[in-house]
Amino acid sequence: MTSLLAAACDVLGLLPLDCLEPRFMRQALLALLLLTPMTSMLGVQVTLYRMAFFSDAVGHSAFAGVALGLLLGAPPDAAMLVFGVLVGLAVMAVQRTSGLSADTAIGIIFSAVVAFGLAVVSRASGLGRQMGQFLYGDILTVGDGEIAALACLLLLLLLFEIAGWNRLLAMALSPVTARVQGIHTAFWHYLFAGLLALVVMFSVRAVGVLLMTALLVVPAATARNLARSAGGMFWWSLAVGVSSGAAGLLLSAQDWLATASGATVVLVACAWFAVSCCVRARRGARRG
Amino acid sequence: MEAAGRAILEDVNAMAPAGGATVLMGPNGAGKTTLLHCLLGETAHGGRIVLEGGGRRIAHVPQQLVVERGLPLSVREFLALGAQRRPLWLGVSAAARRTGRRLLEAVDAAELEQRRLGELSGGELRRVLLAEALGHDPDLLVLDEAEAGVDVHGERLFWEVLDAARRERGFTLIMVSHNLPLAAHYATHVICLDRRVLAEGAPRETLTAPLLLTLFGVPIHLYPDQCGLAGPSCPQCGALSTPDHIAAGAPGAPGCCPLRDRRHP
Repeated sequence: MTSLLAAACDVLGLLPLDCLEPRFMRQALLALLLLTPMTSMLGVQVTLYRMAFFSDAVGHSAFAGVALGLLLGAPPDAAMLVFGVLVGLAVMAVQRTSGLSADTAIGIIFSAVVAFGLAVVSRASGLGRQMGQFLYGDILTVGDGEIAALACLLLLLLLFEIAGWNRLLAMALSPVTARVQGIHTAFWHYLFAGLLALVVMFSVRAVGVLLMTALLVVPAATARNLARSAGGMFWWSLAVGVSSGAAGLLLSAQDWLATASGATVVLVACAWFAVSCCVRARRGARRG
Repeated sequence: MEAAGRAILEDVNAMAPAGGATVLMGPNGAGKTTLLHCLLGETAHGGRIVLEGGGRRIAHVPQQLVVERGLPLSVREFLALGAQRRPLWLGVSAAARRTGRRLLEAVDAAELEQRRLGELSGGELRRVLLAEALGHDPDLLVLDEAEAGVDVHGERLFWEVLDAARRERGFTLIMVSHNLPLAAHYATHVICLDRRVLAEGAPRETLTAPLLLTLFGVPIHLYPDQCGLAGPSCPQCGALSTPDHIAAGAPGAPGCCPLRDRRHP
């Protein structure tokens, strides 16, 4: 796997772009090419289920996870992933079983994980330095291990999208009817929440918690404007997400721009969205 | 069946004849939807539900879909959701397209195939939902006020295609409806519910004026012979009390019940 990813990095180095000469840039591009398809695919379902707030809550648990890892002497990155998945599953459990509305349930857990993270930071010295990376992300420091993990996660997610896409759509349209049709809604909800939490954690690493939700929501919202079918929405979301990731990173490395990579990725995606709104308005005008 | 210490349903003992159209009637809060949810396995209960006969396939037509207007999900794709294992993003298979067209024709909605689900009118959406449910080839079809919120024409059309599909395919139909005249016209069996079963049986014999008064708390009569005030002076006959209308004796408007002469044999 590692040699395969190294070969992929080398292939990216063949592109006629000066900014890709440093290895860390090629690794960052590869990481985004693996991450953005996942955020784009899941983003379609996040918008269907109106789960942007869910993603926010899970993303904000990243810092608490890192802090917990440091306190317990566990590897911070691994602790962040495990904690994020647990928070995701907890949110889903509260959402499914409590009488509270989804927003309220998520809001409570959101507040709890943020308060916990801040409490730990306030007691432990040295953790404050991690805050910057948590807020803004840092795709340029991504390592081989993380890229390998992203590749495995992408494979897993592809299998999930092949087996679960129709089921998740049916569940979003009418959960009762989906259950009557024999769809095990609890299983698919928890699996979706777990995978989403994992992808959210990697997104926090790439663009930071402030912009992580944009990676999920903006490509999917753009796809809604451009696609003429649900299947088309999936492909449009992929195209917008991946192109925004690659273009954003490459643009951010240009001397005349020299901006933060995560922010530039999201800005490119937002430009896509603006274009899609014009296309939609034009189509609406044609239909009269 | 209780919720928050309050009885929702108690001592419910009723039957729905196989192959028939059973309509659950009752005021809001009577437990109709809860009873349907018990039947679908959605709500825990302390009773026993027996499905007799060979078939066990159940299909459900929901009252509404959670669908945003901007979602580009076409009717063709919606029908393919239950007809193909391939994810929609790999396209709709030829077999699923054929099945979808056949189902849409069965509910008089063939022209809707390429339309977006979010752009359909209430009546169109209900017929598409019915087509989707028929695609599961059910032995029992359960509908929860599936015709609610639809205009008069759309509601009538929905009942007609539903009745035709039941007669052709032979499934058992159980539905909740608030439309008394249409339910009385198309149902073969009615269950009047207000937390317990007040009455059940054939509509003509069951939906008497005293029972409807007990059930809904307002005087209603569905059949001309239930009217205590024969003739046009009855204040409860609604639109049908117009003297000219009745005096004209026009076909299709016989006395209090315009549906009477058009009832299926």
